[in-house]
Amino acid sequence: MSEPLNRVTIITRREKTEELRQALVELGVNGITVTMVEGCGVQHAVVRYFRGVKAEMRLLPKVMFEMVISDIPVESVVKVARDVLYTGNIGDGKIFVEEELAVYKVRTDEEGKNAL
Amino acid sequence: MSSQMTKITIITRREKFEELRVALLEIGVQGMTLTEVEGCGVQHGLELQIRGVKKQVHLLPKIKLEIVVSTVPVEAVIKAAKDVLRTGKIGDGKIFVSEIKEVIRVRTGERNEEALTNNGE
Repeated sequence: MSEPLNRVTIITRREKTEELRQALVELGVNGITVTMVEGCGVQHAVVRYFRGVKAEMRLLPKVMFEMVISDIPVESVVKVARDVLYTGNIGDGKIFVEEELAVYKVRTDEEGKNAL
Repeated sequence: MSSQMTKITIITRREKFEELRVALLEIGVQGMTLTEVEGCGVQHGLELQIRGVKKQVHLLPKIKLEIVVSTVPVEAVIKAAKDVLRTGKIGDGKIFVSEIKEVIRVRTGERNEEALTNNGE
């Protein structure tokens, strides 16, 4: 199979889930998997004070979006995601891009690009 | 070690998990990771009617099953998964195949193929 299949994984703030989903659907992404995850970035922890008591949160609640795309350029997904997710604050998230070798659609037995 | 390792990610209906698990164990898959996820496919969700009130559901509950194989052929896994999961209705799911560069078993430090198989233990 010669057409490229790319997996884009976006990890970001949970409150952005609905906005990001809508933006991706508008772009024409067919099929997204959303997982609620916990994670930490470069700062490894956030220190907060609850009623004067210091509480260190090491893993913060995040949302992970995964999608595999073929026709849609990776660059346009990255642009849409950045437009929606950018706040300039720590915790905006990260976008990962990987290569996918094959995709199969179970119901119709289609492969590759057609499966998407 | 030159053996190739492949990750197979199956996204499908939640109720199919038990059947899929048994089918995969039968063909020799050792180890899998299950995550409860939400997702949408080509129709971008569906419209439900609850007590006469229409509600648009964008993300449907699904499971994501991840398997890394080396000695078990990828084709066998795909065939077993397809056979179990196909109902012909929308929502049967997708199977993704990608390459894994390295596997390390934490307990023993074994790598790659040895880390994926269980020899006489």
